[in-house]
Amino acid sequence: MFILNPHSGVPIYQQLIEQVRRLVAGGQLAPGTELPSVREMAQEHTVHPMTISKAYSLLEAEGILERHRGKPMRVAALRRNQSTMAARLKQLEPQLEALALSARQLELEPQDVIDQIRKKLGGKT
Amino acid sequence: MNSLAVQVSGLHKSIGPRVILDGISSQVRPGDVIGVIGKNGAGKTTLLEALLGLSPPTAGSASIFGENSLHMSAGTKARIGFVPQQDELIPMLTGQRQIELTAAFYSHWDGALLKRLAENWEVPLDRRIAVLSGGERQKLSTLLALGNSPDLLVLDEPVSSLDPLARRQFLQQLLEIASDERRAVIFSSHIVSDLERVANRIWILKDGRLLWDGDTDELKNSITRLHIRATRELPATIQLPGVLILRRATDGRTATATVRDLSHESLPVLEQQLQAQIEVEALGLEDIFLELHS
Repeated sequence: MFILNPHSGVPIYQQLIEQVRRLVAGGQLAPGTELPSVREMAQEHTVHPMTISKAYSLLEAEGILERHRGKPMRVAALRRNQSTMAARLKQLEPQLEALALSARQLELEPQDVIDQIRKKLGGKT
Repeated sequence: MNSLAVQVSGLHKSIGPRVILDGISSQVRPGDVIGVIGKNGAGKTTLLEALLGLSPPTAGSASIFGENSLHMSAGTKARIGFVPQQDELIPMLTGQRQIELTAAFYSHWDGALLKRLAENWEVPLDRRIAVLSGGERQKLSTLLALGNSPDLLVLDEPVSSLDPLARRQFLQQLLEIASDERRAVIFSSHIVSDLERVANRIWILKDGRLLWDGDTDELKNSITRLHIRATRELPATIQLPGVLILRRATDGRTATATVRDLSHESLPVLEQQLQAQIEVEALGLEDIFLELHS
């Protein structure tokens, strides 16, 4: 279910966090879905168990996963508005960076780019 | 109760005028898989041997499960497994006989595990060691070190002659050990991609010192490469905090810089100063190793 590349410059736990976030946000991982245990994940991908448990703990702290005693980690019920707007905006940072870079390379005016984003989001221009 | 698997403090080792270890201090906690990397001659083997008490240090000390490694009790020795770079197998014995001989030294021996692993790893136990291939000998030597279910497993270049499939099985076995949180593994290898997978901590050894001793993840977050593309000639000196290496292209307008602990907030300022676009590249362990040695 997950694609972890140990040789990427992005640490494995961060890769896992990003994929879980994305799959949860996209609805592919519905609330209540059980994730493989730390041991299973570590064995399947041949990575250190601490790497997986670190990712799970951080996702739990974010409220994306929840832990039940003696049971596998589960996707938490959606709590869209519990994380602050700033925190949610921060998740968009990598895409914004990439967009800003491309926009500069294409020598586009900021206002034109902003107008396009507004349109995509369905807002008023 | 000492909860550390290994503690080394101020370990020095000289042979004649040559300094091989130049003051190494670190700790290994249960559950750790430590990956040791360094160029040939960086002191990896000497470090592992000094840590295990196999060769006395010139100064400093090492302890294993709370006991000085030069004067360990039999009980503590029985908790250690070591796979040396050069195996110590007896050529005239069959693999099976060698296993029985080694087992005789231990009060606790997991014969069932060895039987299973020998099958999985395809080690022919009925043949004399003299006729085994390098890879088969290495697998047998590793099996022997696992027989006493060691709480501390130390491996010096264990996988260099294993094929990719056997290596993967071997790594899974290491993780099996590490997921028992009372046990620890220290393992040196030139195959950086293996360490990158299974090691939660990395020791980078250079000129007898630990250039890095910390989390694999932190190392990856700490060292990054910047690609700088300016619209005009770059100035003669570029002020970059934490820069390790700066390479300028011949066109004078592009450069790459490897930096430690990059502050992302400083990038826009730098882009402004240099009239440049800066792209940040995350580096894999192999690239990091190369950058730290160039």
